[in-house]
Amino acid sequence: MNKKILAFLLAAVMMVSTAACSSSEPAASEASSEAPASSEAASEEASSEAASSEAADGEAAGGGLFAPVAKEDLKVGVIHITDPAEGSGYTYTHDLGIVGMQENLGLSDDQIIRKINVDDTDATAIETAMLECIEEGCQIIFATSWGYMDTCEALAAEYPEVIFSHGTGYKSNGTNFNNYFGRIYQSRYLSGIAAGLKTKTNKIGYVGAQNSDNAEVTGGCNAFAMGVASVNPDAEVYIKVTGSWFSPEGEKQAAEALIAEGCDVIGQHCDTANPALAAEENGVWSVGYNSDMALKAPKSVLTSTMWDWSVYYTKATQSVIDGTWDGSNYFGDMNDGLVVLAPLTELCEEGTAEKVEEAKAKILSGEWDVFTGPIEDNEGNVILAEGETLSDADITGNIHWYYKNVVVK
Amino acid sequence: MSQTPANPACAIECRQITKTFGSVVANDKIDLDVRYGEILALLGENGSGKTTLMNMLSGIYHPDSGSISIAGQPVSINSPVDAMHLGIGMIHQHFKLVDAFTAMDNIVLGTHGKRLAPKVLKERILEICHSVGLEIDPEKRVYEMSVSEKQTVEILKVLYRDAKILILDEPTAVLTPQETGKLFAILRRMREQGRAIIIITHKLQEVLEISDRVTILWKGKSIDTVNTAETNARQLTELMVGRPVSLSIQRPQPQDPQPVMDVQGLTVKKPDGAIALDGISFDIRSGEILGIAGVAGSGQKELCETIAGLTKSEKGHITFKGEEILGKTPAEIISLGIHMGFVPEDRLGMGLVASMGMVDNMLLKSYRSHKGMFIDRKPARALAEELIRRLEIVTPGEDTPVRLLSGGNVQKVLIGREIESGPSVLITAYPVRGLDINSSYTVYDLLNEQKQKGVAVVFVGEDLDVLLELCDRILVLCHGRITGLVDASSVTKEQIGLMMTGSHSGEVQQ
Amino acid sequence: MNTQKLSHEPLIRVVKRTERPPRQVTLLRALALVLSILAGGLFILSLGYNPIEIYATILSGAFRSKIAIQGTVKIMIPLLISSLGVTLAFKMKFWNIGAEGQIIAGAIVASYFALYHSDWNHWVLIVVMFLAGVIGGGIWGLIPALCKMKWNTNETLFTLMLNYIALHIVDYLRDGPWKDPGSQGFPKIARFDANVMLDKVLGVQFGWIVALVLAALIYIYLRYTKQGYEISVVGESTETARYAGMNVRRIVLRTMFLSGAVCGIAGMVQATGSDITLTDAVAGGVGFTAIIVAWLSQLNPITITVVSFLFSVLEKGSSVVQSSYGLSTDCADVLQSIILFFVLGCEFFIRYRFVMRKKGGNA
Repeated sequence: MNKKILAFLLAAVMMVSTAACSSSEPAASEASSEAPASSEAASEEASSEAASSEAADGEAAGGGLFAPVAKEDLKVGVIHITDPAEGSGYTYTHDLGIVGMQENLGLSDDQIIRKINVDDTDATAIETAMLECIEEGCQIIFATSWGYMDTCEALAAEYPEVIFSHGTGYKSNGTNFNNYFGRIYQSRYLSGIAAGLKTKTNKIGYVGAQNSDNAEVTGGCNAFAMGVASVNPDAEVYIKVTGSWFSPEGEKQAAEALIAEGCDVIGQHCDTANPALAAEENGVWSVGYNSDMALKAPKSVLTSTMWDWSVYYTKATQSVIDGTWDGSNYFGDMNDGLVVLAPLTELCEEGTAEKVEEAKAKILSGEWDVFTGPIEDNEGNVILAEGETLSDADITGNIHWYYKNVVVK
Repeated sequence: MSQTPANPACAIECRQITKTFGSVVANDKIDLDVRYGEILALLGENGSGKTTLMNMLSGIYHPDSGSISIAGQPVSINSPVDAMHLGIGMIHQHFKLVDAFTAMDNIVLGTHGKRLAPKVLKERILEICHSVGLEIDPEKRVYEMSVSEKQTVEILKVLYRDAKILILDEPTAVLTPQETGKLFAILRRMREQGRAIIIITHKLQEVLEISDRVTILWKGKSIDTVNTAETNARQLTELMVGRPVSLSIQRPQPQDPQPVMDVQGLTVKKPDGAIALDGISFDIRSGEILGIAGVAGSGQKELCETIAGLTKSEKGHITFKGEEILGKTPAEIISLGIHMGFVPEDRLGMGLVASMGMVDNMLLKSYRSHKGMFIDRKPARALAEELIRRLEIVTPGEDTPVRLLSGGNVQKVLIGREIESGPSVLITAYPVRGLDINSSYTVYDLLNEQKQKGVAVVFVGEDLDVLLELCDRILVLCHGRITGLVDASSVTKEQIGLMMTGSHSGEVQQ
Repeated sequence: MNTQKLSHEPLIRVVKRTERPPRQVTLLRALALVLSILAGGLFILSLGYNPIEIYATILSGAFRSKIAIQGTVKIMIPLLISSLGVTLAFKMKFWNIGAEGQIIAGAIVASYFALYHSDWNHWVLIVVMFLAGVIGGGIWGLIPALCKMKWNTNETLFTLMLNYIALHIVDYLRDGPWKDPGSQGFPKIARFDANVMLDKVLGVQFGWIVALVLAALIYIYLRYTKQGYEISVVGESTETARYAGMNVRRIVLRTMFLSGAVCGIAGMVQATGSDITLTDAVAGGVGFTAIIVAWLSQLNPITITVVSFLFSVLEKGSSVVQSSYGLSTDCADVLQSIILFFVLGCEFFIRYRFVMRKKGGNA
């Protein structure tokens, strides 16, 4: 009799434990995603490199910190927080970048060591995954999630011959541990133009992952709002925060709440396509993020703010082959092609393309960037006077205010 | 109701029934015939295959080989439902009733077809009762019923399904002699109605009293079938045990009996708050065996456990040679230098650890006295080896889990351990229940040996014949009160039976 | 029972069998293992891979280099310790499904010292953190035992629910009082100071020594001490324990404290030896796997050591299979489940057997 109960118990336990395994995955990726990208904030680190895209052009250093590696001997490790097979979103976008790099450089499949579903809150799992890459002989390991940062730092010290390149974080050591990120706000500004022109209710929703404590999300929202204001000074941007990087249900609910408020365009800074899908379901428009979400919600998406990580991955990997790796941080922009705006769809208002092109030309020329004064926040404080600009350190770490047309919901 | 089929053919014909469990052959080519209109007793010691055979007739097991014919038709009984359709009804030793339901509800539970209106149903049940002489209030709920009433419901369940063949598994174990008499009268009425009745029992007197024929099983084989009128207890015993045995139980003279334990006004409640013992007073004397008789559940269990220090009491005193021991834990009692042996009713669930071997079971009460935090198994092993030798315990080894031993050997392990602790009081609850005759006699001998050593022995029993032969004095319990404390040599079974029902009080005799 | 087919027995019936001799049982278990490997091979084959290659990769992935072996051992440490922890409770038939929570609780209390007293002398700190793990986990184990003794609560549900409470305490600390001030608003707890880290022996944090010592201690405790004996008796029957004059209440409380405490040690060792921080993944399902390991090993600490090592090999090896063959780690979970299915299934066949319906059941 007791054995029977035991058998049931074990069965139950097995179910519980497998359930626990699978449920830990979304919870884990919560802290993933883009994080505040500040190379400058790491000033306490030994790194003395300036955080600019220029700095990554290592030729100037006249030779790198590591010896060149024959292309056929090269092995590249990639640590992903989820499975690229998910088809859109964060990991998918990064892996597209890896695949692009592989094609650009002509590397074979077995030269890429992918570790997928590495929970970024499980330090031991991260370490195991990275050590396996090292065992396989990787010279460089790309760690794509924010939560991998501390482990990268520790292993970089332990394995000085291996390069750890960490996305979206703020730590680096100037030699074999750097970080990489980009000026996604440029693309957000352009997408704001499309939204500002489209809105009829003059209410635009924005699903944000984090609140104003987080400079990356807040800055992104501001750039979007400034894009809106540049073409439609009457429109307001309603931001609703989910408090989580990855929350399929929360993102959907936030979008629905915004739509109920009267918003007819939904922008987003979060991991899933659910805000765009919610917009499509309710017959309003949206702006996607990470990948071109017009593929997911064709009846709703005006355009999408996108990354092309292959730009950085190609550059970094090439520098390892050439022996020109200099350990500097990377902060790419639209000029590099790292930050991209997806093609405008036919849903956009007439004249959108022209306005977007005009702004884009200004940004690409370098004569103007998004965070240029005059800028006033939504409490009436002057942030920047006419002609002043924000430093990169402020952009990545200090934007804790909302642009004047932003309303927090 | 039912009529005897025109042909006097057998109700049941079993031929060469074999059933094995793993390597154990429970039934080995058993032949069994039961006729309509007769009561067949199935006699055999524990483990002789009686219950296995009956479980095959009632569809719980399926034979490995052999054939069964019911009313002349070869059949395959694959489930209890099949058995029901074939008119076979089994009345189990442990009742299978829903406590919260009325008798009526329990009777129709599990039957198919349209449900009768309560009034019609009640009439029908009363009609069945009348036809065989049963008495029941169909609207009474089971939890309010006495044991014999519950049994009545079980019988009615079977009769309601119009069973022509009834199997009763040890039906008298829970009944008083008076109730047993009533049951037998009912069985006889059913026999007259032409039903076939199989009664499983190991009480020889009852076999002789009720049955027409007796089939004796021995070690899974059907040894013989005899007409009851042409046999006697001795012959049956010999067939059952496989060799001649002496049936008389010795009763040596008490050795200078002195009161060692005195129980005064003891009141104990059951966990549910009901009174289990109601202010009872008696004494236990060295060098004699005090028998305790009573219908099951009259307070025997609570009495034993309270004396052993396992159950809390409401009020009263228990003194050992003047020292109060009530309210003390077993450990505290031992620390007073009082050694008490207790052989509880539930041997494997309480007295022993079923999954442990003899060695670890020897430690159960003595491990605490070892020095330090570790257990010393050496003396326990020596003790186990000695018991195996002295009591002829059959076990593959002293580390074999005791649950794998036969019932008799389990009891020898338990009694052996308790005796070896050198008790001055030895309490035994139903020490021969479920044991074969040989083992039972071993137990009687062991108890007598203790008695002659001057130990005060308490024997809680159910078989009045045994109580009368073995004990010096018999204390009769009824609903937690003492209804008699009598000298065993000068009382009859009927007198004790009356005391057990509380209808007659016995004089306290010296 | 099927009421529709009155006169048919079910096609297959389950019948309890008499006990098999121990040698046959061992043989059956070995057979189950072989079968599970074969079935797993079929599964791999159906995915279009060569099973022998995959199995070889699992083995080489776990043993191919010093780093690999160290990685395997590192996975084993918390699994082994918490399996030993739950064994104490299971031996008493106390269904402690709360190892996960006890691991976390131990890790939390130890982390307090790791975060706020990292300046203490290294060895003093380690001893203090060890005791903190014991107390944290112990209390987390004691709570359900107390409630069971007091109000007869169901320990299975109770311990299970406590897992989630512990988990959310970590989240609370991470998002609130213990939030890393340098994380720019990101919810995380800072990496511990180097002074906190458990020292490495043979390249792996010394938790593996702790684990092996605990395995030996618990083996001795259960087998040769009075308290271990009491646990077995209470586990078999509280009536017998009462009969023997044991204080069942005290034994249950003491044992559950110990069970939780050992799991708490697992949490402390994982947080300060492997993770070097506190996250809500500190237990990461190990507490549930531990239950399976404990039962598969028949609650024998020596067997537990072997089984938890095998589990670690499988986990480490399948992670390499994932990156070498692009075979999803989910497939490794499927393989693990296949093995469990067979081994647990074999336990069923040790105790029961099937009886097919005979032909000619009277219809």
